[in-house]
Amino acid sequence: MHVEEKQQKVNKAKKADKKQRRCLAIIKSDCHVTPSNDPTTYLAILNVGLSNGLTEENLLQAAAKSGGKVTEVVMLPGKSYCFLVCASMEDSELIYLAMHNVSTIGQLGAVAYLSYVKELPALAGKSEWNRPLPSGLLVISDFVSGEEEATLLKAIAEDGKTSEGTGTLKHRHVKHFGYEFLYGSNNVDPSKPLELAIPFACDILWPRLENSATAWDWSTPDQLTVNEYEPGHGIPPHVDTHSAFLDPILSLSLQSDVVMDFRRGEEQVQVRLPRRSLLIMSGEARFDWTHGIRPKHIDVVPSASGGLTTQARGKRTSLTFRRLRRGPCDCAYPTLCDTRQTKTPQELTVSLAAQAVSLELQNVHEVYDKIADHFSETRHSPWPQVAGFLDSFDPQSVVLDVGCGNGKYLGCNPRLLAIGCDRAQGLLAVGRRKGQNVFRCDCLSVPVRSSSIDGCISIAVIHHLATGERRLAAIQEMARVLRPGGRALIYVWAKDQRKNDKKSAYLRQNKAVNKERTTEQEQRQKQHKELDELPNNTPLPVHTNRTEFQQQDVLVPWKTKDEQRTTYLRYYHVFEEQELENLVAQLPEVKLVKSYYDQGNHCVIFEKISKNCS
Amino acid sequence: MKLSTYNFLTSMAIKGVKVGFPLKLTINKKDVVESEFNPTFVERILPKLDWSAVYGAAQVAELTEDIPAVQPENIGENEVLLQKLHHLLFEIDVLEGQLECPETGRVFPITDGIPNMLLNEDEV
Repeated sequence: MHVEEKQQKVNKAKKADKKQRRCLAIIKSDCHVTPSNDPTTYLAILNVGLSNGLTEENLLQAAAKSGGKVTEVVMLPGKSYCFLVCASMEDSELIYLAMHNVSTIGQLGAVAYLSYVKELPALAGKSEWNRPLPSGLLVISDFVSGEEEATLLKAIAEDGKTSEGTGTLKHRHVKHFGYEFLYGSNNVDPSKPLELAIPFACDILWPRLENSATAWDWSTPDQLTVNEYEPGHGIPPHVDTHSAFLDPILSLSLQSDVVMDFRRGEEQVQVRLPRRSLLIMSGEARFDWTHGIRPKHIDVVPSASGGLTTQARGKRTSLTFRRLRRGPCDCAYPTLCDTRQTKTPQELTVSLAAQAVSLELQNVHEVYDKIADHFSETRHSPWPQVAGFLDSFDPQSVVLDVGCGNGKYLGCNPRLLAIGCDRAQGLLAVGRRKGQNVFRCDCLSVPVRSSSIDGCISIAVIHHLATGERRLAAIQEMARVLRPGGRALIYVWAKDQRKNDKKSAYLRQNKAVNKERTTEQEQRQKQHKELDELPNNTPLPVHTNRTEFQQQDVLVPWKTKDEQRTTYLRYYHVFEEQELENLVAQLPEVKLVKSYYDQGNHCVIFEKISKNCS
Repeated sequence: MKLSTYNFLTSMAIKGVKVGFPLKLTINKKDVVESEFNPTFVERILPKLDWSAVYGAAQVAELTEDIPAVQPENIGENEVLLQKLHHLLFEIDVLEGQLECPETGRVFPITDGIPNMLLNEDEV
């Protein structure tokens, strides 16, 4: 028995040695780190890392059991190993002896193998703790006393407007005072103040800020949002809408500490927000950096002695104080600025009218010609309500699809005589190969006899026209070719990609945002950098795909699937509610039959008035 | 381009053109694509077509013996004629050729079976 146990121990050690050698060889070829037989202050965790689920906090907790002190953790993305920097050789030895072949921090409780190494991988960045804070960021510790904390919590617990957007806020409780923050638009409605203003209990705060406030846009706030975070809750990285609030934004942390991430492009800084501290975000920190809280139960924080340690989160309440801006933002940071991303409607309409034809040529027709085959591959299944409209006609009706693309609707109902037209030669060729009846023309001059067609459809076409007059003219052409009593269906892209707080299919495909791994704002910020070099001689902003539209006239990127991954910019005018109905109402020869919203599109059905009726 | 499609096309969008119909058809290359004959379909589609353009197309396709110059009455009872109309309208496929505006002489080419009716900006 005794001998057997001894044998098992030897086997275990042998296995560990073997495993250790194999891992070290991989790490050496991977990032040129040399193992050391003698103790060093650098420890490699050989078989566990980010790729197999190790978190910084689990590692630190395991290391802390040994009594050894860690000053830095180096976790490399996508790697199954990581490194610890220890405070001294003694700390390093303590951790090695306690963890190597003992600590079960691996996947499914697998044991970890450690080794001393001579250096850290060259690509290991500087710790996120040792970077300078974003300019304009200030954390004032002990801004309120424990007693005041209790008073404030009591004051806000009693009232306040609870946010109804449960879909968007599945991870935290939110209340508003003064004005409601609307999560659908990320804005406030200045014309609708709430009955409950900011509680008087908060008035103790403002005299303490008198000196700083001389440099601010405001001295007392008029809007308060209260967030309650349970451990494990977070908030995705975001910037507070520029045009909604003045500079700065204040946030008081109560009940528990937390770590907040600040990001600007690739830059990332972690900031500890202690319980009862006040965070002030002004200037660059308010306008050009996003801030967010990772959904975790435990934070990694610097320890008092200069090392790193873990800290369990408790329930935390934050009070965010802001003042409404009531006008456009005038900041110097355009990337995340909603005002800068939007031209004034008047200015834009004038410039669009002047270049409508060339804009449509360059940013619609030429693009569709280039992307025809790839675009066509993505357009195969007919939308059910369009197919339903085509099925509503008597057999042997003549139906014209204006802007038929690859002709996917022409074969929908074989009992009809369906004819399609489009401007894009490449798309017509696809339809033609499928045996469809197609010809090439512009939707503003349809070369079809007047009053000869029983039904017309135009799906996702007239939102490519750059002025209201041209959009109206296209509808008028459809009305002209319809026989009296004939009906037309039009689909255009809606600016509003939500209905009754439900996201359209277009938004639902943005998985990263929906799973709260990132935000639309952050995606915009990233894209802004990527698309900077793209030629854009239009006055229009580039829309970020699968996010809400920021304005009506935009360029929408199309990335090809080939190796070049070329990005083309398509012009779109996305429609406001009622806008399509208003265009139809301008034509006396037709009457509106139905209008509806279908998966991010505004849709109308209209009928040409019979001769006898008119 | 099927000759049923031809029946609907006009050049009236050209500046100054009043009717622009029927367009003068030239066939340089055609194909015959057989399709299932449905007499009801042909009969019911006829009122939506312009007979002069049906007859004109028959002339160009050299099928004048089959198609009379004037639309006969009670065509539904004449299945032989319906069959011939089916062939003319839905089976003949113009691959190469042209359409010409009867008033201005502007030519619209038909290439690979697709008529190009696109006008220049200064023509509309």
